Amino acid sequence: MRKMSTQRKISTISVYVFLSVLALIWVLPILWVIITSFREESGSFTPYFLPQGYTIRNYINLLTDNTTFDFTRWFSNTLFVSVATCIISTFFVLSVSYAMSRLRFRMRKPLMNIALILGMFPGFMSMIAVYYVLKAFGIEQSLFALILVYSAGAGLGFYVAKGFFDTVPRALDEAAMLDGASRGRIFWKITLPMSKPIIIYTLLTSFTAPWVDYIFASVIMGDNYENYTVALGLFKMLEKEFIHNYYTQFAAGAVIVSIPIAILFISTQKFYVGGVTGGSVKG
Amino acid sequence: MAEIILKNVRKIYDNSYTAVHDFSLKIRDREFVILVGPSGCGKSTTLRMIAGLEEISSGELYIGNTLVNDLPPKDRDIAMVFQNYALYPHMNVYKNMAFALEMRKMPKDEIRRKIMETAKSLDIINLLDRKPKALSGGQRQRVALGRAMVRNPSVFLLDEPLSNLDAKLRTQMRSEIKELHRKLATTFVYVTHDQTEAMTMGDRIVVMKDGYIHQADTPQELYNNPVNTFVAGFIGSPQMNFINCRIIGTPEKIRAEIDGILFDIPKETVERNNLTRAVGENVILGIRPENTFLTDDKKNSIFATIEICELMGDCSYIHMKTGKDSIICKYPHLFAGEKGDIVKVNFDMKKALFFNKDSGFRI
Repeated sequence: MRKMSTQRKISTISVYVFLSVLALIWVLPILWVIITSFREESGSFTPYFLPQGYTIRNYINLLTDNTTFDFTRWFSNTLFVSVATCIISTFFVLSVSYAMSRLRFRMRKPLMNIALILGMFPGFMSMIAVYYVLKAFGIEQSLFALILVYSAGAGLGFYVAKGFFDTVPRALDEAAMLDGASRGRIFWKITLPMSKPIIIYTLLTSFTAPWVDYIFASVIMGDNYENYTVALGLFKMLEKEFIHNYYTQFAAGAVIVSIPIAILFISTQKFYVGGVTGGSVKG
Repeated sequence: MAEIILKNVRKIYDNSYTAVHDFSLKIRDREFVILVGPSGCGKSTTLRMIAGLEEISSGELYIGNTLVNDLPPKDRDIAMVFQNYALYPHMNVYKNMAFALEMRKMPKDEIRRKIMETAKSLDIINLLDRKPKALSGGQRQRVALGRAMVRNPSVFLLDEPLSNLDAKLRTQMRSEIKELHRKLATTFVYVTHDQTEAMTMGDRIVVMKDGYIHQADTPQELYNNPVNTFVAGFIGSPQMNFINCRIIGTPEKIRAEIDGILFDIPKETVERNNLTRAVGENVILGIRPENTFLTDDKKNSIFATIEICELMGDCSYIHMKTGKDSIICKYPHLFAGEKGDIVKVNFDMKKALFFNKDSGFRI
C-alpha cells in the first residue's frame, strides 16, 4: 500500500478534529440533560457539570407523584394526539401528493403554487384565528381540537412525497391499468408497497410534531391542565415557584419524551432504505 | 384473436400539438404489424391509443368489431409489453405474472397452471421466485412477455420491447418473438424505430413520419417499391442513394443524365417508373448501395471521390461523393481504398427508382 502523503494526512486529521468538535457541541446538551435527570441534589443551576449524587427518584416522582404535575396524563394525552395525528396526516399527505403526481386536472398547477406560497408563512400566524374558529365550534381546549389543528394542514406538505411519487415510473401504473387494476388498487397494491421510505418519513415527521409543538398547544389548551401535552406541562415546571424543586424532574421528563419517538424510529428504520424500485424498468 | 380497425384516428394534445393525423389502417386477425418511423413520428402514440392509455381525439377504433374509443384499457382484451418492461419491483416473477389474473378473480390453481405453462414455454421456470432486480435485461424482457401471455389477450401490443437489449440478445429475441407470434396465433402490433427489426419480423410494415402514414406494405414491397424518398431512405441499411439526374430522350429510348454522363434505362424500368411522363425533367434517381458498382468501364460510369471506407468483414461500404450527391456502394469484398481516391461508378438501372424532385413521391 502506498503511504499517504503528508498533505493528505494533515487535511484528513484537521477534518476529523473539526467534525469531533462539532459532534461534541451537538451531543453535550443532550448528555447534560440526561445527567441532570439523574442528579440527586435539586435546584436549577449548579456550578459543576457532574452531579454530586445520582438517583432515579426524579423519574419515579415524575411518574408516580401527580399531586402538582400529572405527567403520566400529559404523556398519554400527547401519545394519543400524536398517534391520531400521524395516521390522519399521513393519509392526507399521501393522498394529496399522489394526486398531484399522477392525476392531471385543470387546477393542478395553481393549487401547487398556492400550497407553496402558503407554506412560506409561519404556521402560528394563523393561531388566533384558529383559536376563535375552534371556540366558535365549541371545541377549544380539547384534544380533538389539537388533532384537528395538527393534521388538517398536513396535506399542504405534499412536496417531498410528491417528489418521491414522481420517481415511480408511470409505465408501472399503465401496466397495472392494462392488467385490470383500478386507480385505487394501483395506489394500494403497486405504488404504496414501493413507497415505504416516504411513508415512514411522513409517519415520523407527523408523529414528532405534537411532542415538540408548544405554541399551538398553549393557545388551544389555555388553562385546561387536564388536556396539556408534555411540552406545555414540562414548561410549567420551569415557572418561578416550581423550578427549584422540579428542575431535575423536568430533565427526566425531557428524556422520557424522546423514548416513543426513538422506538418508532428504530422499529421503522429497516424500511427506511431507498432503491426499492430497482429492476422495475430499464436494463 | 381480433382484427383492429383504425378509422381516421387523430391525436391532438391539449397544447394543440397534433401527434397523429388521420390514421386509417385495418390490421387483420393474426397479423404481425409493425409501426416504424423516426422518433416523434407518432408510432408510440398510436399504439397507446390502441391500448387505451391515450385518449383518441377523433376517429374510430375497433377491436374485434367493437367500437372501443371509450372502453377502458382493461376491457379491451389487450396486453402490452413496455419498452422499459414495467415489471412490479416489489413482486417476484410469479406474482408479476399472476397480478392480471388475480385482478380478473381467476381461481388460484387455475392461475398456477397458466403461469407454469407460460413459464415453461418461455424457459423462465427457475426465475419464478426472483424479484425483477435480480434478473438480467433479457430475463426481464422474457418475464414482461410472459406477463402479457398468461392473459391470453386477443391483441398483443409491443412498444420497442428490444431497444434496451444488447445487439446479440436483440437478434435472438427477434426470432423468439416471431416464433411466439406463430405459436400464439394472435394479432401483434409492434412499435420500433429500428428498420432491421421491422423488416425481419413484420408481416406488414407501417412507415410513419410526423404523424402521417407514408406507406403500409409487406417488407419486400417496401424495399422494392417505396412510394417516396422518405420510405426509400428509411428502409434498408445502408440507406438508398439519391442522385440528382435529368431524364432525356424520346419515349422509345429514354436515358438519364448524371453529371453529364448518359445512362441507358431499360424498358422495364421506364415502364415501372412511368418515365415517359418525366422526359425533360430533373428528377431524383434512387438506387440501393448493392446495385451501385465500381467499374473500369469508361463509358457508362461517373467519377466519384472516396470519402470513407467501412470494412464490414464480408463486404465494404464505400462512401463517395459525386458532384453534389453522396453515394454509398456495397462492395462485395474487402476494399482497400484511401480517402480522396477517384473511382468510376455505375448502376444497375434495372433496379432504379425515380422520384419527383419536389414532392419526393414516385413519378
